[in-house]
Amino acid sequence: MFYASSAFHKFFLMAPKSQRLNRVAETTLQSAAKRPRTITTTAESSMRDAFAKYADCLNELNDKRERVVKASRDITINSKKVIFQVHRMSKHNKEEVLEKAEKDLAAVTDQYVARLVKELGGTDFWKLRRAYSPGVQEYVEAATLFKFCKTGTLLNLGEINGILLPLSDPSLDPLQINVLDYLLGLADLTGELMRMAIGRISDGELEYAEKICRFVREIHRELTLLAPDMDDSNEMKTKMDTMLQSVVKIENACFSVHVRGSECIPLLGSDVPSYSLLGLSDLE
Amino acid sequence: MADLEAKPPLSPSSTLEKQFEDFRHHLEESESLRERIRAVAREIESVTRLIYSCLLLVHQSRPIPEVLEKVKAQISKLKELFHRLAGILRECPGQYYRYHGDWRSETQTVVSLLGFMHWLETGNLLMHTQVEERLGLKTSEFGLDIEDYLIGICFMSNELPRYVVNQVTAGDYDCPRKVLKFLTDLHAAFRMLNLRNDLLRKKFDGMKYDLRRVEEVYYDVKIRGLTANGDSTRDLGIQGQS
Repeated sequence: MFYASSAFHKFFLMAPKSQRLNRVAETTLQSAAKRPRTITTTAESSMRDAFAKYADCLNELNDKRERVVKASRDITINSKKVIFQVHRMSKHNKEEVLEKAEKDLAAVTDQYVARLVKELGGTDFWKLRRAYSPGVQEYVEAATLFKFCKTGTLLNLGEINGILLPLSDPSLDPLQINVLDYLLGLADLTGELMRMAIGRISDGELEYAEKICRFVREIHRELTLLAPDMDDSNEMKTKMDTMLQSVVKIENACFSVHVRGSECIPLLGSDVPSYSLLGLSDLE
Repeated sequence: MADLEAKPPLSPSSTLEKQFEDFRHHLEESESLRERIRAVAREIESVTRLIYSCLLLVHQSRPIPEVLEKVKAQISKLKELFHRLAGILRECPGQYYRYHGDWRSETQTVVSLLGFMHWLETGNLLMHTQVEERLGLKTSEFGLDIEDYLIGICFMSNELPRYVVNQVTAGDYDCPRKVLKFLTDLHAAFRMLNLRNDLLRKKFDGMKYDLRRVEEVYYDVKIRGLTANGDSTRDLGIQGQS
């Protein structure tokens, strides 16, 4: 019942791209297909008619894909800026840095993600997933990084999708980030958190670094379970390897401070971040 | 920083766990769905192999109606399998393209075989909607992707040069002309498409070699004056091997 009604809905709102394309082809082809039975010489022209339709379908899809790729690239660039902004955080300017980051992130959502939503316009999200996946992953990364710095918690997929919901035209299927892109974005998040943890330690905020460490460990542990089940697990597998490296880097950094920290207390007072404290050559 | 410390450590980590728990269910379900799709795709693949081996008889100059008769029974099997596939996909509306890769190549083969059969029978190109009709697919729920159709048609074209060569060897000297006409039209029709650098583009690029081969055969037959009447099978035997 649910399916029937949703199919009906899609039929008239022309939701999934492919189905719409096929339907365009169908209507013209049916009329074309009737002719050759009586007159064989029309075979050639009916072939041309049909291919003209196929060409339209392919053109439309390719144009749309291009626009989606562009929108995705803009999301990537601007999400990166948010991430850099969050990294500008230091011991004394947290509030203002995060405030600016929040504004920037909201701008990414309202401007660039909204454009992606508009371009996709209720089409089959899976068909063009490869075109927008990188941008969405970067956006997830920026949003979760910001949220962690602000509250120390993980931004859930449901929460992100809640933010995106108002961007969609209510008459169309709303764009919802899928589990795969969310998880791929989370995998990248750990790399950023590693940088942040190192930064915090050199700034003397050992507790913050340890908090990051626990959080990243937790994410890594959860993702270990999920990674093999993901649709195209190869991309995730390489990310898992990098993630483990990030976790180990944070752990090692925390370890060095823990062991040698007392020798470096004078440095903690200074405003200049010191990386010598970490005593690690393999950090970057 | 104040925010960080204010939160009790337990509650966020339990919602975190809950979310990942949900993801795991989701992914496991998706994986088992995919397994079922793959199982059907495997069956489709084995039916197409049967059909293909039947169709290969046309290269041995067996009469076309006889060959097609043999194949017909398999088509209803295909129809049944695609019906099952559509049934599985109905469980996850809107995710056709999430799993598309799992039946793509099998479907392309199906298109190429149906297209070849149709061409043998009528001398015309099997259209996209006709394929859907034959497989009992409904565009509104489980349609045939246009690109899959086009790739399948390219595969079909690969079969034609061999057919022409063998037909000529068997004494059908009019065959090259017919095939050449068909392939030329088909190639011209494909040139109307703006293709990306993908599989379809590659397959289409390959089509010109089929066309060239058929042209060569046609030329050989024509230049020896065999098109009107045909008894000089000796020359063509050599042609067939080259």
